[in-house]
Amino acid sequence: MNKVLLMGQANVGKSVLFNHLAGAGATVSNYPGTTVDFDKGHMMLQGKKVDVIDVPGTFSLQPKDRAEEVAVKMLEKEKGATVVCVIDSSKVERGLYLALELIEKGHSVIIDLNMADVAENANIKVDTERLEDILGVPVVTTVAIRGEGLKELVSRMGEAMPAGIESITKRVGGKGGTSTHS
Amino acid sequence: MEQALTVDQRWDLVDKITKETVEVGAYEPTLRDAIAGVTVRPLTGIPFAIAVLYGFWTFFGEFAGLFTDGFFVRIFGTHWIPWLAERLAGLPDWAFVILVGDRAVFAEEFLGDSCFAAGGVLTTGLFMPFGIVLWAVLALFLVLAILEDTGYLPRLAVLLDTVMHKIGLHGFAIVPTLISLGCNVPGVTACRPLETRKQRFMMIALLGVFVPCGAQIGMMEELVPGLIGWVFLTLAVGYLGFGWVLNKILPGESPEILMDVPPYQAPQWSNILRKTWMRTQHFLLVAVPFVLLGCAIVMALYTTGAMDAIAGGLEGFLATVFGVPASATPSLVVGFLRKDLAIGLLPIETMTNYQVFKSVILLTIYFPCLATFAMLLRELNWKEILGTLGFLVAMIFVFGGILNLIGMAGGW
Repeated sequence: MNKVLLMGQANVGKSVLFNHLAGAGATVSNYPGTTVDFDKGHMMLQGKKVDVIDVPGTFSLQPKDRAEEVAVKMLEKEKGATVVCVIDSSKVERGLYLALELIEKGHSVIIDLNMADVAENANIKVDTERLEDILGVPVVTTVAIRGEGLKELVSRMGEAMPAGIESITKRVGGKGGTSTHS
Repeated sequence: MEQALTVDQRWDLVDKITKETVEVGAYEPTLRDAIAGVTVRPLTGIPFAIAVLYGFWTFFGEFAGLFTDGFFVRIFGTHWIPWLAERLAGLPDWAFVILVGDRAVFAEEFLGDSCFAAGGVLTTGLFMPFGIVLWAVLALFLVLAILEDTGYLPRLAVLLDTVMHKIGLHGFAIVPTLISLGCNVPGVTACRPLETRKQRFMMIALLGVFVPCGAQIGMMEELVPGLIGWVFLTLAVGYLGFGWVLNKILPGESPEILMDVPPYQAPQWSNILRKTWMRTQHFLLVAVPFVLLGCAIVMALYTTGAMDAIAGGLEGFLATVFGVPASATPSLVVGFLRKDLAIGLLPIETMTNYQVFKSVILLTIYFPCLATFAMLLRELNWKEILGTLGFLVAMIFVFGGILNLIGMAGGW
């Protein structure tokens, strides 16, 4: 692994996370679309120096504006990278759509349920273990703005791996293969 | 290769996964929600917005004034400039003029303000960026960073959406506009989330033409504080009015923009300070060299007599079309480089208030500064660039002409 891409929708805290992982450099604002070009930095991972890229926010892999185009191109160029899919814990379903797209494309994914504090305030609980079982990729919880959970995120980045969308379809619901859509 | 899911299948799967893993408990409204409600409901939100913007404007004025008038005018005016003039008095004339300025300023009988009147690279050239503009942009960047990081900007966008729709713009336009008031360069970048080329082009053209940057505002606040209200009002009329016109005449779609409104957050001071510093650093690295270069060019044109020739050539044109005296020529010459410098060079004492007002408006509309122009080259294709320049030239004549006619009618 030589590159880490931070991907996710706008305003889920990718740039805050980036600043923690790769030091200074990215500007962060509390409105969507602050990162319109990507920011690049380095971090140490298992004793090796790897590139970290803060990709502009995107809702899906079908780009709708210029910032999203940058994001999708970036992803296509970095086929072998580890993709950290950052999700707002209070809006899991929105982020999961992108996560599934990333998994379908065969990327090595690790899910970061960020903004866990916002979810907690809104009384939303996410069963991360079950989510990890279903998706077959690591799922960690962070509050990037306060620096919480970053250690776990970094230590589990190595576990990021491609997962099969079909096996996810089978595992969900715990019954296996009942989906009428497949 | 596995078979890819369709959009519906994927959402279906998302649904099933969340059903199994996410539990949404009873929601208890918090203070944060109450604040969020108050700030976007028009009845309470509009007064709140006015109060917020007025508060920040006051802070900006006080902060910038404290440093400039309280400190730097004295340092430069009574210490640095006279000291430098004395030390360098032995230089050949041309070098003295470029580095220090007009010798007449240092004669006994001169009573004006040497900070502006001198004009040399090491006197006025240093005074403008470090004595005035730095403090203005620092204050603006700080204020904007706070607005950005709390999450107030997107709410302002929601609040203004209905009004802006009447002229075919979107509430989101307020985000790049406010950012441009700090510096047009990040303002242009902030247009990227706009979805269609038409929207981006319109927004960038309006920003480049009608939105003055922090450096310019700082100079206006220092030199023509009484006129600032009128200048902003005129520019706002142009921005809204011609936004409406562009939206009507340009081909293409202007679809609704769906913007995500993030939760309010207490700003992280480390992030605010870093952001303010990064932008200020950009100002120091990009703007200051151009101000110094601009001063050198103007003084060189003066000593060689070229400035008089240019002014003579432009005199008739400036007077007939805009009703501005030829003594404003140096401002127009350096307006290409830096607009703050251009405003600093306006011969304010020799012009009527109305002429100063017209000149400030024209300089704002006038060609974007070099750094902004470089951004336009990056963001727009050549057709759109030509379109922006055409729009700009048209606006100069429309505004210059109309303001001139109003002036004649009013006898100003």
